[in-house]
Formats: sequence, structure tokens, C-alpha cells
Amino acid sequence: MGIHKEQSTLVIGGGAAGIEAARILGQAGYPVVLVEKSNWLGGVLNQLASSFPRWEDPAQFVEPRVKELEKCAAVKVLLESVVSGCQKTENGYRVQIKNNHGAVEELQAGAVIIATGFDLMDLSGYGEYGHGAFPNVLNSLEFEAVLKEWSAGQKPQKAPVVAFFKCVGSRDRAKGYPYCSKICCMYTAKQAGLVKDLLPDAKSYVFYMDYRASGKEYEEFVRSVIEDKHVRYVRGRPAKVLPEDGRLLIRCEDTLMGVPVEVRADYIVLAAAIRPSQGTAEMAEMFGLHTDPYGFIEPEPFEPVKVQERVFLAGSCGFAVETLGALQQGAAAAAQAMAVLNQAD
Amino acid sequence: MNSPGVVTPQERLGTKPEKLFLFRSCTGSMEYPGTESAIKEILKKLNIEVVMDPDQTCCSGYVLTCSGHTPEPSLAVTARNLSIVEQRYGLDMFCFCNGCFGYNTELSHILKHHPTYMKMANDAIGQWGYEYQGKVRIFHVQELYYLLLDEIRAKVVRPLNGLRIASHYGCHYLAQQYGILDDGDLPTFHEEIYEALGATPVFYKERRMCCGYAVGRGFTHAESVVQPHLGRKFDSAKEEGVELITTTCPGCNVALDREQPKLAARGFGPYNIPVMDLGQLIGLALGVDLDKLGFAANTVPLNGVLERIGLGKGAYSDGNS
Amino acid sequence: MPREHDREWDPELIHKVDRYHLVENLEQCLQCGKCTGNCPVAAITPSYNPRAIINDVLSGSVTRLLDSEEIWRCLWCANCYRVCPVDINYPLLMMQLRYMALENGYGQKYVTGINKFVFRAMEKGLTFVPGQKGIEKIMRLRSGVGAEPWPEVSAKAIAEYRAIFEQTGAKEYMENLEKSEQRPLRMSYREGRIVNE
Repeated sequence: MGIHKEQSTLVIGGGAAGIEAARILGQAGYPVVLVEKSNWLGGVLNQLASSFPRWEDPAQFVEPRVKELEKCAAVKVLLESVVSGCQKTENGYRVQIKNNHGAVEELQAGAVIIATGFDLMDLSGYGEYGHGAFPNVLNSLEFEAVLKEWSAGQKPQKAPVVAFFKCVGSRDRAKGYPYCSKICCMYTAKQAGLVKDLLPDAKSYVFYMDYRASGKEYEEFVRSVIEDKHVRYVRGRPAKVLPEDGRLLIRCEDTLMGVPVEVRADYIVLAAAIRPSQGTAEMAEMFGLHTDPYGFIEPEPFEPVKVQERVFLAGSCGFAVETLGALQQGAAAAAQAMAVLNQAD
Repeated sequence: MNSPGVVTPQERLGTKPEKLFLFRSCTGSMEYPGTESAIKEILKKLNIEVVMDPDQTCCSGYVLTCSGHTPEPSLAVTARNLSIVEQRYGLDMFCFCNGCFGYNTELSHILKHHPTYMKMANDAIGQWGYEYQGKVRIFHVQELYYLLLDEIRAKVVRPLNGLRIASHYGCHYLAQQYGILDDGDLPTFHEEIYEALGATPVFYKERRMCCGYAVGRGFTHAESVVQPHLGRKFDSAKEEGVELITTTCPGCNVALDREQPKLAARGFGPYNIPVMDLGQLIGLALGVDLDKLGFAANTVPLNGVLERIGLGKGAYSDGNS
Repeated sequence: MPREHDREWDPELIHKVDRYHLVENLEQCLQCGKCTGNCPVAAITPSYNPRAIINDVLSGSVTRLLDSEEIWRCLWCANCYRVCPVDINYPLLMMQLRYMALENGYGQKYVTGINKFVFRAMEKGLTFVPGQKGIEKIMRLRSGVGAEPWPEVSAKAIAEYRAIFEQTGAKEYMENLEKSEQRPLRMSYREGRIVNE
């Protein structure tokens, strides 16, 4: 029995999960090729102005990891590259990796880790909210960019009212998806609390059906946003947004009181449903992977991250997951890859 | 199940029909005969042959939705009307009333998805040789206008001179999510039609608000519910300086047109905003003879709308003056 | 009513209301309130609350439902259905809830007025035919646009329409409604909460 360390592991996607998988494999001396379509590592983490539950700056996490990967001899990072083809072989997959200049390189991979992540759902079907039609109706990632501006000092003249709508496209059997996107209750609390930190005179409303804070320090986090940062939570899924005098009028029912209400806001932030990314769909098709009815990559029964022989998933390409979970799955996928590369002939 | 059922008119209707079945609307043919006649004139100009049938009855949906009687007769009546279209003509059926469209679509959907009801209905009407097979496609003429917008634009002879027109889409068309043309909350296809006719579309805050005519008026909640409700809608239109409101439902037309003097008597407004069917508007722009457009039926006079578009005063006889 | 007891809750209520199997997904209701937020009647009459009515039907609580004025306020605009994330056809629920109220002697006044137009439709094949003066006006307007003075509905159609209403029992149903005893209605969602003052 030989240790096939010479066989590379291909990690597709350089976000939190992909970085973690590459890092663990590299530390153990296993050759890794990390393919990332954009020209930076870190994925969605780079778009975030803060994180839950400890309000840490994601850059503080990403930068050291990127340096570690650069220094690690076993890790080869290919930016602005995509996997353009693959063929199953006896010992894994022969893949073609194409960069943005059109050059193609070949790689024989003994294990593949799919870490291609998520996209937010297209909300143009929600005419009642007007995303894409009314100004200042943004999805949650678009609003992170606004939070980054405000953090950098470019603050609005007048303290705004920011309204957060949760479950837009999630828990929606009519126009969206029946599942819960898991992370929105937490990131919405984070965004709403951050607004108050950056602009103490601003007002944050969170319109919710439930708030799901099941994780370590999560409940305390949400309560501190409500109690210490004075964000107002109103139970009711907003029914309609209408532009009015340059602001946005929200019609909703406060279901705990049983009373219809109207709230005027300057920004509306929609927590859009988490969807498998375009890259996830492409890799699933290319490698012939089993996906669930919503397009998320499905592991085999009773397997945490193994999708099929020599192919593993990590991160939100398998379902919505927060950063910590993505890291855990990345490490698990790395371990499974090491196991397969060491298996008996 | 709703899906965001927004499709292009081509996907929904296919190509321009050569011939269609026009479903008679009770309220339309009695309260606003100009609506039906305008539509026929438009379709003539578009070279589409129109067929109607005296054997078609009321859809019976309105009183059903007021819980006046249980669904069995309405399911049978719907099956009967639709089987006439299927068996005798094999054409697509077009309604010109949101109500007829909504009730026929809803009831036919129920018939097609509940075999027991389909059997009950076909047993009831089988005695006269009718059988509903669930095949006829049901549309509203507003969808046809949108499909043929380019052709309509090319045939405009009386451009509407920037007239400020606001839409009232009504509820029973856009609430149907079995395949509609536009987003139910943020539709814009009527506004595109106004632009094609040379008018100025005006958006007002309560544009998507119901007219209240459906069940509200049926229960004669006119004073306590429908009137304050309409008052809010008209206040919002008045604020935006709307000169005309169009409808695609004779029921909505009755609510918006005939209630205005009653609203004024109760201290709402006055508004004096004329209301007409979208077909009558298109007919105006396409040069249809004014008598055929039947504005004499309007309660709120047209208030200089005709002068604004270059048709002199006294160009038609106003049954109200 | 100070406190509700579970022995007052009828677990079969939803099936008794949805007798035509038109609203089979009522338990999918998330109580999100989108329906009520968009409801034009709730905006004017806050004690009319579609979400609360669904909640009562799901709990099986008829205490407020049957004798309420509120259930007669739904306009069937279907704004609720359009925005509902689980596609509950609330107007069809209301239609059936009203049948149940009528069965128990509540609300006939709302329905008998409009039913007279159905009786007339059985003679004319059209609904909302007015009285003689109205008919004359219609004939004038129709002639004015060059149409035949009265909408053409064949005698065969009218006879078949009438037969359908008779044979399905609807005519008898409506006649019985007119004769049945009417019990008083109240704004049960507003008043039902006040107990001791």
C-alpha cells in the first residue's frame, strides 16, 4: 500500500470552505490545486462588513489564511480560472482548467472538493417589494456594500430608517423555495445592529416571522441587537412596498398585535433566499453529481460530505451554511480526500 | 400553485388569432355597451373576426362569490358555456370583463382539477348534449391588445396628446396566477399601451387598490366599507393630477364611475375624474366613430378629454347633459 | 370570553368549513400576516383580520367566527391570495365560511338582497338586470352605439340556465335562505374581547 501523495486534490472555489480544505491538505503536505474564478480569495467573506456572532472583521480572517496558502509549497492557487472539462479516469479525474486568457492546463486529480458556494435568489418576481424597480430596495449582499461605505466614513447626511425583510424567497412555496435559508436571521440581526453602531441616530426595523438563532452564542447575539442596540423587531411579513415622497412606504401587519401598520423607510434590505451558485450548477453537471430538487449538491446517505467516489463537497454548494460550518465542512472534506488518497490499491 | 406566472404575451397567447370567441359580459353589455362595441371595432381594424353566441349565459360567478348559492350551479353553468365554445367553434375564448375572466378561469381550474366536480357538471349539462373537456383557452382582450401593441401603435390616427391617464388593473385578472402577463403587484403593460397611443401614463400610490365593486358592493357595504376605500384611491389619483382612469372590467367601471357622485355627497372629493374601458381608449386613438364608443353611458362626464385630444365640443351626445 | 378552553376547539372545523375541498393547504399557513398587511378592508376595519380568521379555523375555534360581522367584509380582491407565500386561496375559504354561517342562521341579510338578481337571471340569462326604467335606459344606450337594443340571449340558453339552478337545488336553497330565521351578528373580533368593564 502506498501513500499517493503525488496525486493532486482539486479544490474548486476559493471561498471560506475552499480555503480551509486547501489549507488543511497543504499543511499535511498533500498537493492541492485551488481554482477560483475571480481574482481574489475569500469569496463572499470579502463582501461582508462584519460577522456574527462576535462582530469580527472577516478581513482579519481571510488575509492570514491567504498568506498561509501563498507560503505553503504544496498549494497551488489558480485565480481567474475555471474548470472547463473533466473525464473520469481509473484513479480519479482528468480535468481541464482554463484561465481568463483562454490557456488550458491539464490536471490529474485523485480527489475533488466542490466548494463553489451560493448566489442570492433573483428577486424580480417580488413586485410587491420592488427590487430592481424602486431605488434603495436592496438585497442583503448589496446592503453589505452600503455598510462598508458607511464604515469607511461615507455616511448619509440624514439618519436613515432601514427596514429589513426576512424570508424573501425562503419559506415560500408560492414564488420561491420552501426551505429556510438558515443564515439570514443571524446576518440580518448583524446588519440591523451594525446600522445602529455606525449611525446611532438611525432606526432599524426587522420584519420577521421567526428568528432562528440556533448556534453557539447566537441567541445572545440577537438579544443584544434587540436590547442593547435598540433594533425594533416587528412580527409580520411585509405585504407591500410603495414609493412615497422619495421614501418607501411599507404595509405590513404587526401580527402580535393583530393590527395593520404602515412604516416609512429610506432603505429596504431583503434577505433573499440562498441558492446554489451558477458554478455549483455547472460543476454538478460536469461531474455528474447528485443534486436535490433545488440544485444543491447532495452527499450520499449517511455521509457528511462525500458526494460520490473521490468527490466531496464543502460549504453552501451543499446547502446554506454560516462561515463556521463552511470551515468545518472544508476540514472534513480535506480529511476525506486524504483518506481516499491513502486507500489500499 | 403560483409560480411567478409572468410570461410574455407570445408565450401566453401564441400568435395573433384570425378569429376569436368573445364572451358576453352581463355588466358590460348592459351598463357600458360602448365597451363591447369599441372592442368589436378595434378587432375589425385589426382584421380579427369576432364570434359571439346567443346561447352563452351569464358566467354566474359574481353571486357565487357573494355566497348567494353554492358552487354546483356555477360549475355546471361554466362547463356549459365553455363546452359551447369547445364544441361549436374550437376557438380561444376572450373575455372583456375581469370578473368573467376571473370566474371562468377559477371555476374551470376547479373543474379540471377535481374529477368529481367535472363529472357532476358534465352530468348536469349532458342532457342537452354538452360536454366540457377542459380544452378551451381563456384569455382577456387586454392581453390581446398587448400582444398586438406594435400593430395598434401603427394604426393610431388620433394620438392622445399627452393626456394624463392612470391605470386601474382591477383584481380578478392579476390575482389569477395560472399564467398572467405581468407582475400582480407592479404591472406596467397598461402604461405601455398608453404610451403607444401618445398619452402620458401616471403612477399613483393606490393604483393597485381594488375598486370594491366585487363582493363589497354586492353586500351593499357601500357606505361603511366601499366608499371610504374608494375615497382613498381617488384621493391618491387626484394628488397626481390624473385626467382619466381606464379599466378592463365593467364591474370596476361601475364602481369607479357611478360611485363618484355618491362619494361627493358623503364628503369625499369631489374628483370628477372620467373613467372608461381600455378598449374605448384604444378605440378613440384608432379613430373609431364616437357614437360607437358609447360615452353617453358614463356618469362622470368626460370633462374636456375629447377637446384635449382635438375632438371638438359637442362631438357626441352626452346622455347626462 | 376571558379564556378559551381546548374543549371548545373542534379539530374537524377545517374540514367542516372546506366542504368543497378548495382550500386543502390551510395548515401551511405560517401566520406571516402578508395577507392582512395587503388587505384593503383590514386597512379600514382593523378588527377584520384574515390571518386571525385563518388561525381560528385552524384551532377549531368557532367562538368568534360564525356570528361575526367581520367575515362578511372580505371583498374578494384576492390581494391576500396573490401575496400568500403558501398560496392559500383565502377568498374561497371565506366563501365556504359564509355558507357555514348561513347554515347556522347568520348573515342572510347580506345574501338575500343580491339573490334577487339570481332569480331574475333565471328569467333573463343575465345577472344584474335592473327594473323597468333601468331596462329602458339600457335599450337607449345600446341603440345609441348601434347594437341590438337588448343583449341577445337565446330562450334556449335561459331555459337551460334556469334548469341548472333548479336541478342542482340552488333555487330551493336560495328560497329557503329567504325564509330562514336571522340571528343577530356582532363585530365579534372587536367586541369579543371585552369582558368586564
